[in-house]
Amino acid sequence: MLDFGRVQKELQECNKDINLSGISVNPKFDNLINLIGSIPGPVATPYEGGTFKIDIDLPDAYPFEPPRMKFATKVWHPNISSQSGAICLDILKDQWSPALTLKTALLSIQALLSAPEPDDPQDAVVAQQYLKDYQTFASTARYWTESFAKTSSLGVDEKVQKLVEMGFPEDLVRKTLGAVGGDENLALEKLCSA
Amino acid sequence: MQNHDEIPVESESESTAFNIDYEADDDWSNYKDSDVMQQQSAIFEQDAARFPFVGDKEPLSSLEAEYKSGSPILLEKIKVLSEKYAAIRRTRGDGNCFFRSLMFSYLEHILESQDQAEVEHVKANVEKCRKTLQDLGYADFTFEDFFSLFIEQLDSVLQGNELSISHDELVARSRDQCVSDYVVMFFRFVTSGEIKKRSEFFEPFILGLSNTTVEQFCKTSVEPMGEESDHVHITALCDALGVPIRVVYLDRSSCEKEGGVSVNHHDFVPTPADGANASTSETGSEPNPFIVLLYRPGHYDILYKK
Repeated sequence: MLDFGRVQKELQECNKDINLSGISVNPKFDNLINLIGSIPGPVATPYEGGTFKIDIDLPDAYPFEPPRMKFATKVWHPNISSQSGAICLDILKDQWSPALTLKTALLSIQALLSAPEPDDPQDAVVAQQYLKDYQTFASTARYWTESFAKTSSLGVDEKVQKLVEMGFPEDLVRKTLGAVGGDENLALEKLCSA
Repeated sequence: MQNHDEIPVESESESTAFNIDYEADDDWSNYKDSDVMQQQSAIFEQDAARFPFVGDKEPLSSLEAEYKSGSPILLEKIKVLSEKYAAIRRTRGDGNCFFRSLMFSYLEHILESQDQAEVEHVKANVEKCRKTLQDLGYADFTFEDFFSLFIEQLDSVLQGNELSISHDELVARSRDQCVSDYVVMFFRFVTSGEIKKRSEFFEPFILGLSNTTVEQFCKTSVEPMGEESDHVHITALCDALGVPIRVVYLDRSSCEKEGGVSVNHHDFVPTPADGANASTSETGSEPNPFIVLLYRPGHYDILYKK
């Protein structure tokens, strides 16, 4: 049985110092099993300026089993699948401990963005590029950040309008936008794949 | 073809945990992390079905039977053991066996001795551990549930209150994952806190053991479930709780004494940072820990004195 009391406390704790860390976790729908995390791209990296959404699913045995996390925002990084968003990080696997929290896990992911480990890659193509042609890697990563990780300054209604103009029904657009935390790019992707 | 969703389990077969057809398609890149983790938990579940976290009390002769056709040195040693020890209680070999053995052994001792002073002494130390973790910057909610569950177990083995439990109930609880895992995590927190608090003391041992920093060691070898315990863990936990622990070593090393084989043991005795350890030494300076664990390479079980 999932320890909802703990999850509740974690969300409160994490969102308390959101101004300081920039890291937040919120329910994706109306439950505490499917969550969405948000981390700012670290400064002085190709991810700077981006906001990265992380899909979080909590298994029943949480906190004894690790939270299942993957990038919802597309990202170009040796340890993150450019296709699926899967993350290669020890603490999300066998090095998980109940002493860790959703916030510390997100902090570790943020640290991974700063310090890729191309020798233990999740995405072999990106890792090869990182090792052999760092310049191209950095500019690709920056381009992906610009394209996928920057939420525009549009208000909710403007986003809705934009997506409705593309031909999606309004109630579905609002629901989808809500589910991805207001990110229009993610919403578009979801709507297209639905 | 592979089917990642269903893991065939053959309950009859002893040796094959999994029947995935490796020959058919050995492209391991097809395995997702979630599949691997699912497999792993399936292995644990199989083990669980075969063996509880804490077994029944067995006469020491059952240990002898286990090595019947094995090393003569081990058989000799078991003979020596049987002079002092009457019984063994096995624990599951899932990397948490030291903590599970300690949990059962300690609570059983309190249940049988009703030693109020010992409980007060340990509770005081638990409070210090809580303070240690807070000082180290752990958020309360990460450890408080594990702490309160342990305190609850302590209170319930003391008789005469509404929480009191019988020996049977203690066995049942020790086999209940919700209780056992929580207590294991409590011990892991206490161990990690103690190591970090006295990092200067533990650093050289950790360097010798795993060549990592204290911080890294706690993160990778203490705090995750299933990470095995070594001297460093035992020393830290024994000091933090103020509970002496005897570990008896049963391995192939021949420790010939005049007139035959002997069995090594090591007493982990709390360092005097905590002065009030009167309950442990019987007469004079000879320590006589009430917790005795049998160590065979990679595994701990509980031993009972005669």
